[in-house]
Amino acid sequence: MSLAVGDFIPEWVMESVTPERMCTMAAILRDPNPIHWDRDAVDALPLGLGKRTINQGPLGLSYIINMLHAWAGPNALRRIVMRFPQVVLDQERVVAKGNISALREEHGITLADCTVWLEHAERGVLLEGIATVVFPPPKMPELESNFETAALKEHE
Amino acid sequence: MHTALFGYLPTGASANSTQETNRQMRKRPIPLEAEITRLVGHRFPGGSYTVAHWENFLLTQCTGAELLCDGQVHPVALFHLPITGAGTSIAEMFELGQAESDLSIMIESYDWEMFLPLQEDTCYSVSGGINGAQRCTNPEGKLYDRIVFCFEVHTPENILAARTTITWHYTRDTL
Repeated sequence: MSLAVGDFIPEWVMESVTPERMCTMAAILRDPNPIHWDRDAVDALPLGLGKRTINQGPLGLSYIINMLHAWAGPNALRRIVMRFPQVVLDQERVVAKGNISALREEHGITLADCTVWLEHAERGVLLEGIATVVFPPPKMPELESNFETAALKEHE
Repeated sequence: MHTALFGYLPTGASANSTQETNRQMRKRPIPLEAEITRLVGHRFPGGSYTVAHWENFLLTQCTGAELLCDGQVHPVALFHLPITGAGTSIAEMFELGQAESDLSIMIESYDWEMFLPLQEDTCYSVSGGINGAQRCTNPEGKLYDRIVFCFEVHTPENILAARTTITWHYTRDTL
């Protein structure tokens, strides 16, 4: 795969954010915040969101990860930093998008720094951040040496 | 500094128009600034966490993705694995910052560094604590406390597999 700064990453679409998935996630995370599973609690907030649950931050972030996995492979993601300017609500259709903002070499590995965001057709950017992806994506046997070296250097 | 809170408020929902409701919803007084700043250096007990197949299956399904190959855990686990593995919980993290209510927490950012793919049925050791805690004022003059939690996840061979940083805003007298 040839890469260039400005290249767009193929989009990843979550057709409908479902309250059922938020409930499952809340149980696994042991997240006591009712905004993720109680529509009445959200409706009672002075935010005008109505009776719609609010997606967990990590779930919105995971849509970005899914986009990066589909593009570069499941072993390629090195770092992701996300901010959350707007909430994601149940039943919304959201699209993960991104592009390459920089290419660099580090410890003999090519890294692509990407600008990434989660977008809603009417409300615009809901999440935004940066991700660093390894190219070419390491295969499993290569992982130990490449990532261990990087991890040890991080540790030093 | 980015303030997640104002992004949270949809168009037309001004803080001024909701002050009465806010007062009714306030559940505890605003802590002293010193009570917040002295959280820096707080360490969680530490411990370990193993992601079982069923858990990875459900987590991955929640993200809308297919299960990854060869028992690889979806990185979305990097939220709760460090928290639980370090011997704390979301509820305790809310309490440490004296959150007014569960509803008053806003996310500033999540920073996940991945050095090795996580695997199912692997016992990761986790350490963590609070790296930053400060009182802030947003552009509209509202107080909030910004608390930064940092966690490290190590393999059974003591190799750093991941590092995560959670930055939350504990809003005060806003919701």
